[in-house]
Amino acid sequence: MQAEKPRAIIACRVLQSLIEPYLLQALTAATFMEYGLHRTPALMREALQERIDRIKQPSVIVLGYGLCGNGLVDLKAGIHTLVVPRAHDCITIFLGSHERYMEEFSSNPGTYYLTKGWLESGSHPLREYQDLVEKYDREAAEWVIDEQYRNYSRLVLVVPDTGELAVCRDQACKVAQFCAARWGFRYEERVGSDKFVKELVTSAPWLQESTHDFLVIPPGGEIKQEMFWHEQSREKGWEGTAR
Amino acid sequence: MSDALLQLRNAVIDGRVKELEALTSAALSAGLTPKEILDNGLVQGMQVVGSEFKEGKKFVPEVLFSARAMQVSLNILKPLLAQTGTKMVGKVVIGTVKGDLHDIGKNLVGMMMEGAGFEVVDLGRDVAPEKFVEVVRRENADILALSALLTTTMRAMDQTIKMLKEANVRDAVKVMVGGAPVTADFALKIGADSYGSTAADAAEIAKKLIHAS
Repeated sequence: MQAEKPRAIIACRVLQSLIEPYLLQALTAATFMEYGLHRTPALMREALQERIDRIKQPSVIVLGYGLCGNGLVDLKAGIHTLVVPRAHDCITIFLGSHERYMEEFSSNPGTYYLTKGWLESGSHPLREYQDLVEKYDREAAEWVIDEQYRNYSRLVLVVPDTGELAVCRDQACKVAQFCAARWGFRYEERVGSDKFVKELVTSAPWLQESTHDFLVIPPGGEIKQEMFWHEQSREKGWEGTAR
Repeated sequence: MSDALLQLRNAVIDGRVKELEALTSAALSAGLTPKEILDNGLVQGMQVVGSEFKEGKKFVPEVLFSARAMQVSLNILKPLLAQTGTKMVGKVVIGTVKGDLHDIGKNLVGMMMEGAGFEVVDLGRDVAPEKFVEVVRRENADILALSALLTTTMRAMDQTIKMLKEANVRDAVKVMVGGAPVTADFALKIGADSYGSTAADAAEIAKKLIHAS
């Protein structure tokens, strides 16, 4: 009887502009959490658990997050049903599917992704460099930024539609110029899709069980890392290799 | 703890790179042995850094400065340790797994292993399972340390362990795994021998693994 339960969305602010157009249609209340929680997965888990537990009436809670460096691992559903995109991070959500993400990833593992949310929140090498120069001397700032980014070779701006491409391009190009000059990154753009987000808001809350794209965690359940692995990587032998 | 060691420890915690040379010389002049300086000054500092990073109190740049600070001191101490005839405690082959280009954590673990007295063979990043097997065999390594930063690449760890088994070298080497997405539970499931949650932990665990074998 999930359809009768209230529905709520708790999502990262990077998805806000994508989620909002569908909220009215789905008549769902949404809470958007601050950017960058994934940098400290333990704190991300704490913050999300607190939000979930704050909802007192048994509900279907949609989490607008990926696995995000294990930030979701060990989250407890409690009295609620949790619905989660089966995505490693928000780039999968922006690109529209796990397969598209894996294609991008295997074609060039040394990719640093940019999104509108990341640009807005200043989570990119150029801003980090500017902050470091303010805090440390130039030599130290240059050393530490190089240590973090020298292994990447490509910067990819990911947007859900061409409209957002126009909005983000100027700022993305500034970051791209910095990265190209410093580490020789090439710059590319990918127009993904809002398919994942649309389903997350308009159909996933009514799912009865997990699918290829979404996890459904019933009341009393807990989110585990291996739930995010798709068939391709969930080869046989996994359960049986413990010594 | 002596004053010199405390100062070294704190300079590592704060990542005060430029002070480490003078502090290390001062500690040596005060009669402390290279091993004391390492174990009771530098390593203790890095243990604090590792815990604070896990708790979200320190971020990557700060950890990097701390590591760089320790490296300055380590460079002074290494030849002295060699002179005193301190024997290597064992040999570690280390690398970041296939498909993963991140090496900050792996480098940090490598440095801590060196600090703990291991000979470290670093294969770099994006290392294929076959390569790990080949080098473990060739080097007759005591420990294989695998690193991954991404949930998309950590599965290369079980592929590597599987390949070690197929090549009949699994029982000859202890396998340790680590990196941001890796957990003790995952390590157990894939049949690794151990998991390190911080670089300082990894070095301690490596020592225990060697003594246990």
